[in-house]
Amino acid sequence: MAQSKISRRRLLTSAAGAAGGMAFMGPWTHTRVHAQGAAKPIKIGITSDASGQYANSGAEDRRGMMMAIAEANAKGGVLGRKIETFHLDTETTPATGSRVAERMITREGCGFLVGAIHSGVANAISQVAQKYGVIYINTNSSAPSEAGQNCHRVKFVFDANGTNFAKAAVQASIEKFGKKWVLLTNDYVWGHSTAAATKALLKQFGGEMVEEILVPQGTRDFSSQLLKIQQLKPGAVAAAIGGDDQKAMRQQIAQLGMGDKTAWINNQQDWPDVYGLPLDNLFGVFGTTWYYNLDLPGVAEFVQRYKVMFPDTSIKVPGNVFYNGYWSVRELLGAIERAGSTNNIKVIKALEGHKMSARDRMQHHDAWIDPVTHQMQQSIYLATANVGTKDSDDMFKILGSTSPQEAMDTDAAGACKLESYESTPTFDA
Amino acid sequence: MTSLVPHLVNGLTLGLLFALIALGFTLIVGVMEVINLAHGSLFTLGAYLALSTIGAGWFAGTPFGIWWLELPMASRYFIGLALGPVLAGIAGMLLELCLRPTYGKAPLYGLLLTFGAAIVVEEAIRLIWGTGERNMPVPQMISGAFLMGGLIFSTYKFYAAGFAIVAILMVWLFLERTPYGAIIKAGAHDSEMVRALGYDLARLRLIVFGFGSALAGIAGMVMAPIWGLRPHLGIDVVIPAFLIIVIGGVGSFWGAVAAAILVGMATGITGAYAPAWSLMSMYILLIAIVGFRARGLLGRRSALEN
Repeated sequence: MAQSKISRRRLLTSAAGAAGGMAFMGPWTHTRVHAQGAAKPIKIGITSDASGQYANSGAEDRRGMMMAIAEANAKGGVLGRKIETFHLDTETTPATGSRVAERMITREGCGFLVGAIHSGVANAISQVAQKYGVIYINTNSSAPSEAGQNCHRVKFVFDANGTNFAKAAVQASIEKFGKKWVLLTNDYVWGHSTAAATKALLKQFGGEMVEEILVPQGTRDFSSQLLKIQQLKPGAVAAAIGGDDQKAMRQQIAQLGMGDKTAWINNQQDWPDVYGLPLDNLFGVFGTTWYYNLDLPGVAEFVQRYKVMFPDTSIKVPGNVFYNGYWSVRELLGAIERAGSTNNIKVIKALEGHKMSARDRMQHHDAWIDPVTHQMQQSIYLATANVGTKDSDDMFKILGSTSPQEAMDTDAAGACKLESYESTPTFDA
Repeated sequence: MTSLVPHLVNGLTLGLLFALIALGFTLIVGVMEVINLAHGSLFTLGAYLALSTIGAGWFAGTPFGIWWLELPMASRYFIGLALGPVLAGIAGMLLELCLRPTYGKAPLYGLLLTFGAAIVVEEAIRLIWGTGERNMPVPQMISGAFLMGGLIFSTYKFYAAGFAIVAILMVWLFLERTPYGAIIKAGAHDSEMVRALGYDLARLRLIVFGFGSALAGIAGMVMAPIWGLRPHLGIDVVIPAFLIIVIGGVGSFWGAVAAAILVGMATGITGAYAPAWSLMSMYILLIAIVGFRARGLLGRRSALEN
C-alpha cells in the first residue's frame, strides 16, 4: 500500500476541529449559547425614523419605547426573559421600511416589531410582518387606512387617526366658523385618508369643501398655497400636513399673520413638531391623545420619570408621540405576560379586546383595543395655543376631551378585513 | 378662476431665493468643476452659526454674553449675517483641503468625499445644537406682513428676495470687475495657464471654495426664517441647487440665475393651480430644457455639438 500523504492523526484532528467550529457557524442567533440558567432574551425590532420628515418624532417615539423596556427589565423582564432591542432607521421611506422589517425578522431574529410615524412606512412594515406572522405595533402613524383597508392580523395601531380627530373637531367647527372649507392635504396616505374623513364629516354636518389643495411631501415653501387660501376666503381650513412640512407651514403662516385671520383646524398635532416654536406659530385648533400637563393621577410622576431617564434631550417634557411609543411597548409586554407565551397567535388574542382604565392610561376615558380593527380606542383632546403662558413648555390649552365612543372611526370596521388566525403564519419569539 | 398676478409675483420672489441658494454651488462647480454635495450642509451650518451669533451662543451667561444680548436685535442679526457665513466659509476651506488628493482623479472620488462631508457636517450640527427645530429671529423692521392687491404678503420674503438681488449683483461685480474675479474666471477656463502665469492655483481654489461655502451660509441664514431650521435642512437644498445649475448650463452664472427664476415661477404657479405637481415641476422643467438643449440655457457649447 502506498504511504498516505494525510496521516490518520491529522485527519481525525481536522475532523474534530471542523465539528467544533460548526457550533459557531451562522446564523448566530440560532446558535448563541446562553449562560447556564439564563433564558433567551425577547428581541424587539424598533422600526422608527431617524432621518427624513419625521426624524424628530421618530426619536421621541423611540424614547417612549425605551422607557417602557427599561421599566420591564428593571422588574426582571417578561416571562423571566430580558428585553433586547435592535434599531434601524426607516428613513421616513416606505421602501426602506420594508427592507428594515425584512432584515429585522430574517437576519436579526427580532420577535416583535414596534414603531413608525409615517403611515406609508407603517403599511410597508405591516405587510412584511404579516408575511412572517411577526406582531407589529404601529405606534404613531395616524392614517385612518392603517386600521381600515391596510389592517392586518399581526398589526396593532396605537395612535388615534385622522377620522377620530376630525370627528372631535369638525361638527363644532362648522357651527362656529361656517360651512365653506378648504382642505390643505399632504399628498400621501395619511393626508389623503384624513382628508377623506374630513370630507365625509363635512357632508354629514352640512359643510362644503370649496377646494382641496394637495401639498407634496417635502414642500418647504407654502406661499402659493397660502395666497390661494386668501383668494378663496373660506370659513375654515382643515390642514392635514405633518412633520417638517408642517413646521415650515406654521412658520410661514405666522409670518403672514394668517393664524388668526383664518380658522385653522389642524387635525392631530404631534408634540415634537411644535415643541420650542413661538406660540404664534401654534395657531388654530388641533387634536392630541395626551398632554403632559393634564390634571390627572399619574401624569406628574410619568413626566418625572421621563425627565430622569432623558435629562439631556432637547424636548424637556413628553408629548403624545412619546406617550404612544411607551404604551405600545408596555401593552405588548403586558399581552405577552397575560398570554404566558411569545407565540404570536396567543399574544394577538391577548391584545384583542384588551381594556385599560382611564387611570392607568392617564386619560379622561377608559380605552380598549378594538378586536375588529386592532386600533386603540382612546380619549381625543382638542387644544389651542396657551397664549399668555409663562412656562415655555406649557404650549397647549386643552379645550376639552371627546370619548373614544364618540370619536370612533365607524367606517374602519367595514374596510378592515383581518387575516384569519389560520392563514397567519405561526411565529414564536 | 383666481387671479394669476399674485402668483407671478410670488414665483419671482421664490426664484430669486432659489438663485441665492444656487449661487455658491454654481461658483464652485463653474470654477473648480467639483459638485459639492456638502453645499446643503454648509447652508445649514451657516444658519446655525448665525443663530448662535445672534443668541450669544457659547458666551451665554458670561459678562460678554450678557452685554451682547443687550444690543439691539437688528445689530446682532446683521453681525450674525456677516459672521455665520464667514465661519461657514472657513469650514468650506477645510473641506477643500480634504478634497485636494482627489483632484485629477475620477470625479467620483470628489463626489463621494463631499457626500461624506455632508453627513459629517449634519451629524456635527446634531451633536452641537441638538435635533430639535430652531427658530431664527429676525428684526422687527423686516418681519410681519403687508397688504398688496388685497392679499397678505410676507415682509421678510420680500426683504430676502431683495437681498438675493444684491448678493447676485455683488458676486457678479466681484467676478467681472475685480482683478481677483478675473483670475477666478481665468482659472475656470484654463487652470494650467493660470498656474503658468505664476498664480498660486491651490490658493485660488481654497479661496473660491471658501467663498462658495460662505455664500451657502448666507443663503442658509436668509432662508431659515422661511423654511425653519433643523439639522437635515440641507437635503432640501442640494437637489434644487443641482437642478438649477444643470438647467442654466454648468458654469454659467447668469444661466443659473435665469434657471432659478424659471424654477421659482414653475413651483409658484403650479403650487397655486396644480399643487400636487409643484415639487415635480422643477424636474419637468429640467427634462423639457435639457431634452431640447443639452447644455442648458446658457451653458458652453460642447466640441461634440454641430
